[in-house]
Order: sequence, then C-alpha cells, then structure tokens
Amino acid sequence: MNAPDRYERFVVPEGVKKVSYERDTKIINAASFTVEREDHTIGNILRMQVPISLNFFEHLSFQGVLFLQLHRDPDVLFAGYKLPHPLQYKIIVRIHTTSQSSPMQAYNQAVNDLDKELDHLKSAFEAELAKHSREY
Amino acid sequence: MEGRSYQRFPTVKIRELKNDYAKFELRDTDASIANALRRVMIAEVPTIAIDLVEIEVNSSVLNDEFIAHRLGLIPLTSERAMSMRFSRDCDACDGDGQCEYCSVEFHLRAKCLNDQTLDVTSRELISSDPSVVPVDFASPSSEYDNAENRGIMIVKLRRGQELRLRAIARKGIGKDHAKWSPAATVTFMYEPEIYINEDMMEKLTLEQRMSVVESSPTKVFDIDAKTGRVVVVDPEAYTYDDEVIKKCESLNAPGLVEVHPKEDSFIFTVESTGAIKASQLVLNAIDILKQKLDAVRLSEDTVEADEQFLELDAHMRGG
Repeated sequence: MNAPDRYERFVVPEGVKKVSYERDTKIINAASFTVEREDHTIGNILRMQVPISLNFFEHLSFQGVLFLQLHRDPDVLFAGYKLPHPLQYKIIVRIHTTSQSSPMQAYNQAVNDLDKELDHLKSAFEAELAKHSREY
Repeated sequence: MEGRSYQRFPTVKIRELKNDYAKFELRDTDASIANALRRVMIAEVPTIAIDLVEIEVNSSVLNDEFIAHRLGLIPLTSERAMSMRFSRDCDACDGDGQCEYCSVEFHLRAKCLNDQTLDVTSRELISSDPSVVPVDFASPSSEYDNAENRGIMIVKLRRGQELRLRAIARKGIGKDHAKWSPAATVTFMYEPEIYINEDMMEKLTLEQRMSVVESSPTKVFDIDAKTGRVVVVDPEAYTYDDEVIKKCESLNAPGLVEVHPKEDSFIFTVESTGAIKASQLVLNAIDILKQKLDAVRLSEDTVEADEQFLELDAHMRGG
C-alpha cells in the first residue's frame, strides 16, 4: 500500500543534484561526496580506485613487495564509502588527502581513470570476441 | 588540477562462447571492477519485457493478474533495448508508453474449439515489431530439439475457453523488476593457485596421499600412476572449501597443500536468458557502467561553489 515506487531506486528526483560535495568543517582536505541513486556498484569501484597511501606500519613490514604499492598516490590518506540505509537510495563517499592534493582532485582522477580502464576493457573484450569468432 | 593517473589495463581471455553462455578470464584488475560488472549485468543492462496487459476476454482457469505476470516473465529478444527509450523519459508519447520509440505491442488470441486441451504458448504472441519477439529456443544454434519446442506455456484451455488480450512491452532494468534482467546467472571466482609441498609429501605413505586426494569434494587432485605423486589436475574445480587443508592438518602436516586466490584474476561465467547474446551482455554492461560513471562526475556549479568557498576562506584568513 505505502511501499515506495520501484523507480525511486534509480530515478533522481527533480531538483535533487546527482552528486553533492561537502567539505569537512574540522579537517582540512577532507570531504564527503553524496551520490544520489547509486549503490555498491559505483561506491566500491570509486573507493578502490582512489589510491590510498600506505601507513607507516605497512611500510615497514612489506618493504620487499612495496614496489607496486609505491606507485600509488601518496596524497590520499583515506577513501571509503557507505550506504547509509537500504531505503535511502544514496551513497556517501568520503575522501581525505594531504595538502598536496584535494578530495575533489582525487575524486575526479578516480572517475577519469575508471572511465579509461573501462574503455580499455571494452576494446580488449571486443578484440577477443573477434578472435574467437574467427576461430570457430 | 590534474593528478597523476593510476589507470590499470585489464586483459580478457574468452574460453568458451555460445549464444547464451560465455566463460572468460579477466585479469589485471581488482574485485571491485569484477563485482561492479557482475552487478550491472544482473540488474542494470536493459531488456524489453511485457509491462502492461489489457485483457479483453479471459475465460481460462487462471485469473487475469496471473496471466499478466506470466506474460511479463517471457523473455523477448532485446537487441533493440540499448537504443530504445525508457517510457518514463519518452517525450513522443507523454510517458503513457504507447509509441514506437518506447514500446512494442503484442496481441494474443486463442480459443479452444475441440475436446483436446489447447496449449497457449509464447508462440501465439503476435508482435508489432519483428525484431522484438518471444525468445525462440529452437533457433539453429540451440541444442533443444525442434519437435519438442512449443514455446513457453502461458495457459491451457479446454473446450469453449478463450483468451484475448493486448500487451505493451517496455524497456526496463532488473533493478526495477527481475523480469527485465537479461542474466540467468553471472558468477566470478578468484583463480586459485595451489601449491603442494613436495618434501612433506615424500614423507607420506601412498595411503595417506590417497586420503589427501579424496578429501576434496571436487576432483582437484589425483595421483600420478607412474610416480605416485599427488598432482593438481584441475585447480579451478577447487571451491575454496578448505577440506584439503583440514585433511593436511589432521595428518599432522599443515602446509602440505596451500591454496591462494589470485586477487587480480577472475573467471567469469555468464548465462543469458536469451534476451541478448551473452557476449553482447558483457559489452552492454561495460557501456552501462561507463554511463553511470559519467553521471557521477562533479557538475560545473559544484566545482565553482567550492572555488568561491576557498577564495572566501583565504580572504578571511588573510584579512
């Protein structure tokens, strides 16, 4: 009877911004991005793409295998997301960086990198598809 | 404000490909991308399904709602879906969902005139668009027997019963209702790396080795008939059940067999309902994910507002 409409889950209501940005009032270079009508699909890839620097302890214990990790952005201190409630169709992405970068810069970079990664994935899949259809 | 790029270059290898089935390896990326792809394939790649049914006559044993629901669940060929409009943002028809850009009309007329039961199947649905029809499992590529294929059963009629209706099919996504999901199953697993400690294995008797081989519920290990050594025959049969590890511990030989999931390597299995080809399903999922990413880019005014805020902030501090 009073169930919310199913489309509520993926249609952004009029007058609501898809992404809003809020600086942290206490910590410099920390901010939250509220993304409307998105879920783990976007939240998790964004969080994983925003590269996080290693903390001191990790640095000490894995010195040998750090090569790959050292390529990552040392400017991002924290990146995480949450889905506040299953019936609130939004996610909150939180990013904290050093003063060398900004949360907005890290966010934009993550979206751009993911976009390029997917472009690459698509052409890789298409090439495989063409190869496969030739073989059979 | 360009930061450094940390882009990855994933690789793909297709192992098996049929119209409704695909198996491929995805490497050099992480679980978040693999899982995003899986989630999009299941719930966000659009297809076409019957969404609105007007029943003219129904004297069958099933009630109107029951039949409408069954019609909704029939997979329709949906190659068109990616280029079609959602009826909620179609401006050609004021969103009543009855124009060629956002909908396809179906008719069904069936009446049983003799004493034999009449099977009304998806084959009786007449489409207004030849590219959108109920999925035909009797297509040449399919392994189903033609003689046996009579479409998908909707209802059975006895003498004198009749069913007459008009149905509107629309574009939709699985998140809205599972009838729009193009995926029957989509799964991925980490590729396992299995190490056998040969030195420790040497010390075991043949009987103990047999027990190690047999401890796995799936056939992952075997004994080489010539050398009597335990060998891995099919690492991917391993289901991460830990039975072998437990067995090694009970033999007082922890570390005899070790299994490590390769965390940047995934094996995907995709099965389609037939609405779109399995290969197309993967490609559409990548496109949809790209569209979603485009939608979450920061808008111009958000960036501007923040710059103004920064200026103001600097001003306050300076002053």
